[in-house]
Amino acid sequence: MTQVVTVKRRALAASEERAALLRRRFNEAGTLVTNLISSPGSGKTTLLEATARHMKERHTLAVIEGDVATERDADRLRALGVPAHQILTGGACHLDARQVEGALEEAGLLPVDILFIENVGNLICPTTYDLGEDFKVAVLSVTEGDDKPFKYPAIFARAEVTVVSKIDLLPHLPFDVEAVDEQLRSLNPTGTILRTSATTGEGVDAWCELLARRLSDKRDSSNRGS
Amino acid sequence: MGIALEIYRVCREAAQAHGGGRIERVRVEIGELAAVEPDLLMFAWEAATTESPDAGATLDVAWCSAVQRCANCGEEKQRSEGSWLRICPDCGMPLQVSGGDQLDVIDVTLLGEDEEPGDAVVEEAG
Repeated sequence: MTQVVTVKRRALAASEERAALLRRRFNEAGTLVTNLISSPGSGKTTLLEATARHMKERHTLAVIEGDVATERDADRLRALGVPAHQILTGGACHLDARQVEGALEEAGLLPVDILFIENVGNLICPTTYDLGEDFKVAVLSVTEGDDKPFKYPAIFARAEVTVVSKIDLLPHLPFDVEAVDEQLRSLNPTGTILRTSATTGEGVDAWCELLARRLSDKRDSSNRGS
Repeated sequence: MGIALEIYRVCREAAQAHGGGRIERVRVEIGELAAVEPDLLMFAWEAATTESPDAGATLDVAWCSAVQRCANCGEEKQRSEGSWLRICPDCGMPLQVSGGDQLDVIDVTLLGEDEEPGDAVVEEAG
């Protein structure tokens, strides 16, 4: 006797429930959380280093780093005085809510103003996993080519902010920034597009202002709510 | 692979709740913006189930496209699979993307071979 059982459930429902608990916890702590997603080598860690230099006098920051192997990225941020916890995924191509939960337990990173979660370098798998963040940030370096948003629509459609990085290299590359803007606007009409160079510092202030504004908006709205 | 394991876990839970039979077939919906490649998912599904009591279970993937709609003329715009329109081909305005984020287990077909004779299983059939 066979029977058909209706399930109608998100495949990642269990993981999404954990993410919802994390989100509540971040809200209670008044912490703004961003989930940074990009391909390997697009400059996520370098952007965070520049962010730390720019913001650490006025805000408390912490970082959770996701990598397949090595503590290198966390060490780079610790060197700037930012508490950083490295999650080693041992081969997995993305972080999930359970790992972030574990990192919070182990490292005691909260309370803090802004928590950056730097996902494993990969434009595909991390997109699917909610980590309880306030918003996703996609980082696209100009050396990767200007066709990426349409090639990887899932992340660029979901990321509230896309940072086009390494723009100091633009004079040397056939990278059409307008074409990228157009692709991003068609996938994500309400998203914010920023252009940065962590090397020259261009655009880093706009990125930091966005973070500071989002933090104060979040705290204002939770104060109004309570 | 992680997603195949999660799908399998959801299916196994559903199977346990309905008599614990062997899984014959699973239907899932995968959206274009779910960041999941159906071929790879099928491959991972095989790997996830091969050593389990449900080895050989079929995974049927229904692909769900996202829709690009023009806010100005209100119409859904046709595009070829995997390509995206930059602007509305009719009025030149920006388009909005919706849907395509499905990553859902729809239903599970169970074989009741290990079940005791009885009617409880049949009653619970959905």
